[in-house]
Amino acid sequence: MPIIVNLDIILAKRKIKSKDLAETIGITTANLSILKSGKAKAVRFSTLEAICKALDCQPADILEYVED
Amino acid sequence: MKDNTKILTIITWIILLSSISVLLNDIREFDFNQFTEFQNWAKTANKNESWLTSKNAIKWSYYAISAGLFFWRGYLIYGFSYFLSILKEIENRNYFSDKIIKGFKKIGYIFIWYTISVLILRFLLAGINGSTFNFFNELKAEFTFLIPAGLGFYILAEIFKRAKETKEENDLTI
Repeated sequence: MPIIVNLDIILAKRKIKSKDLAETIGITTANLSILKSGKAKAVRFSTLEAICKALDCQPADILEYVED
Repeated sequence: MKDNTKILTIITWIILLSSISVLLNDIREFDFNQFTEFQNWAKTANKNESWLTSKNAIKWSYYAISAGLFFWRGYLIYGFSYFLSILKEIENRNYFSDKIIKGFKKIGYIFIWYTISVLILRFLLAGINGSTFNFFNELKAEFTFLIPAGLGFYILAEIFKRAKETKEENDLTI
């Protein structure tokens, strides 16, 4: 998929654990893992908003478009 | 929901078992000794005589086609047994499983092929008997309703296939 999820990088920069982020934004660790691994088919605006709020970043910091 | 599935499973089992017993009874009543007679005739037959027009060959063809009808009835019962696997999946709450999609497709396929094959066999039987075969009259027979039913199951399989894709997409939306 040409959309890359850079959540791992942001989490490492902020030194936040995946489990803590999942708890903060109110999703399961399994779903966060799907998002991190790039297996997700879509991301809700509400989830994106919660992630950006929790990590104090912009959507562009998490999502990146790379041509195949 | 679970109780309804159980009732449907019991009804399906009753239909299946009664269809099998009726088929087995019909096979038992059918005189298969005719085939042995034919084999005996084949050994002693005059080789110069045309095989196709000989009385015994016609008789044998008649019995072979009748036996073919038994086979297709068995095939229809086999198709019906797919309802059991579909009902089991529904009971396990796997509404969009591959088994259900495959089951609906298989039932549709078997219903359509059963009707077409029986129509062909009836045409051949009419030819051997020397009776007239009216295609449109045959289409009015009850069993031909299995064609629209089969198509309906094909459509259901397609709907379930799309539903499964949508569910997967929904499950992977975070």
